[in-house]
Amino acid sequence: MNPMEEAGIPVEEQIRNWSELNTQPYDKASVDPYTRTRVILMNGIEVESVMFSHQFARHTDQMELKRALAMNRRVDAQQQKAVNNLNPGDQTPLETTIGYEQVAVDLTSWLARNEKDPMLKQALDFALLEDFDHLYRYANLYDLLDGKDASALTDHLTEITPGRPSAVQHRHPYDEVRGHYDTHTVDPLSRLHVMTIVAAEQQTMNFYMNHGTDWIEPIARGLYGEIAMVEEQHVSHYESLLDPLDTWLRMWVFHEYNEVYLYWSMLQNESDRRIGQLWELHLQMEIGQLHAACDLLRRFEGVDPEEILPVSLPDTPVTFEPNKAYVRDILANQIDLRTDGSAYVPVDQLPSDHRYFGFQRRVNAGGSPMDLVVEENVRRNGGERRDETDGPNPISSLAPHAA
Amino acid sequence: MTVLNPTKDTGATSKASPLLYGEPDRLVTDELLAEQLQIDGVNAPFLADLLSAFVTHERCGRHLYRSVAGRTNNSMLKQRYEHFGKETEEHVEILETLITNSGGSPSYSSPMARAVEAQDAKLLESTFLGAGTLDLMTAEMAMLDAVFAAEALDQANWQAMDQICESLPGGPIQEQFRTAVDRVLSQEQEHFEWAHGTRAKLTKLQLESSTLAMAGEKMEEMMAKVRSWFSSD
Repeated sequence: MNPMEEAGIPVEEQIRNWSELNTQPYDKASVDPYTRTRVILMNGIEVESVMFSHQFARHTDQMELKRALAMNRRVDAQQQKAVNNLNPGDQTPLETTIGYEQVAVDLTSWLARNEKDPMLKQALDFALLEDFDHLYRYANLYDLLDGKDASALTDHLTEITPGRPSAVQHRHPYDEVRGHYDTHTVDPLSRLHVMTIVAAEQQTMNFYMNHGTDWIEPIARGLYGEIAMVEEQHVSHYESLLDPLDTWLRMWVFHEYNEVYLYWSMLQNESDRRIGQLWELHLQMEIGQLHAACDLLRRFEGVDPEEILPVSLPDTPVTFEPNKAYVRDILANQIDLRTDGSAYVPVDQLPSDHRYFGFQRRVNAGGSPMDLVVEENVRRNGGERRDETDGPNPISSLAPHAA
Repeated sequence: MTVLNPTKDTGATSKASPLLYGEPDRLVTDELLAEQLQIDGVNAPFLADLLSAFVTHERCGRHLYRSVAGRTNNSMLKQRYEHFGKETEEHVEILETLITNSGGSPSYSSPMARAVEAQDAKLLESTFLGAGTLDLMTAEMAMLDAVFAAEALDQANWQAMDQICESLPGGPIQEQFRTAVDRVLSQEQEHFEWAHGTRAKLTKLQLESSTLAMAGEKMEEMMAKVRSWFSSD
């Protein structure tokens, strides 16, 4: 499908009324876990679109551009409401959080499996192990606070077991900055992968930094705060991968193109017919938004969009599916990987006076809530919460804590 | 057919660097560039990087001319921008052919080319991103200034090409470089001199007018004045 050859819906015709935005939520008891992850992902994509548009608008006083951005942004903000309202009110923030981590694990894994650039793949694999660990930490909080099993939400599609241990995930900010792809040589799919993971991780960070205060229990507030800081690291890590050579207008076009690609992807795999219709509607809307951005690129930069866009959408849709073997393999082979500047190095190659260790001593001085939540769950419930469907954790040192 | 934006589909490559990621077959080294451009007596990797920067500047120039031709309110300026834009695209083609015939890749984007593209992108953006508060005449001047700045570098590039010709060993490659320089340098001089002269003329025109760009002047009146520039030329 080449979105440049599709008509889409003109942006001016995309404004919806309040009831259209107040979409009927899915049933949390019967929803396909991957429908929940699609909703979470596309909410994050729309949030990124809105915030990018605001940033762009703050860097220009050109009225034609500002008005076009305002128009487009209003529609994106409406799309975000329509998507996010699919989350039901009886789905607690912690249950939504477990959905966020299922997104992080299965989205990151899928992107990494389909990534051709070895350094981009490495970036995905590296952070994957930490998000995988977060799912385990939140599952234990869910057990501890609510006495419930997170696998009822993940439906055993994603394993729940420790990843790269929590306390060692904290790195000095200098070691969170990577190199980036080259906007000319990058594979179109790689560009979309990076844009997608930046948006997803950013929304995860936003969600945790705002929902940590939903709890009275200090352990929950501490856990959200600590993981929110790791997500801040991940956003720094992933956004480094974007080539800053792209202009504001080109970035806008790429954002719209990615949204077209993702709604098309969601549509290919959606099991809920009603929600599939929303993806279809938003796909047509995004095509219209892409055309609007392309017109401005032509007019203000003299660039034909066809010069920078591929001749058709990548034929591989982003797909939520189990990635258990892949995650296990990365865990077995990369658990000891750390970063030193922009490079990835085994932890035993870091000198003992490396800033990595000093930073951890500082932030972990009073203990790590990510560790404490598991210890407390063991103490309270006699064991930790895991869902190891394919056997014990491949790392022997990550065997369950004794009660 | 010229390529104005190298992409993976058009065979784009870049230079390997610890901070610039790419699929292995998209990354080239100085050693590979030296093998490709087998020209005796010159630093081949540097020449490859330089030619990449030059063709990038021409490509950006093509975009600049398309942009300003579409946005100017003066027919004479529009005509010139369109004409020079076409010539600039021909320069892209000439450089692509030279690079190819020298054994290089016109889709190679060197570190120097990245720097040029960054400069040129900001130059083009400067004509519109911050132009919201500008009156029509000032906006026209801003576009012309961008053309002037771009053409100044362009002329310097082709003067450098003239020097390169003298450093190349005698033979068909040197002849091709010489033919290209003979054809393009005079056009570049014309582009630059036109931008230089037109800038001076517009400055004088506004300086000597007591009414131009007065605060509160109606948009239609200002538009009419911009349109009438050079009407007596």
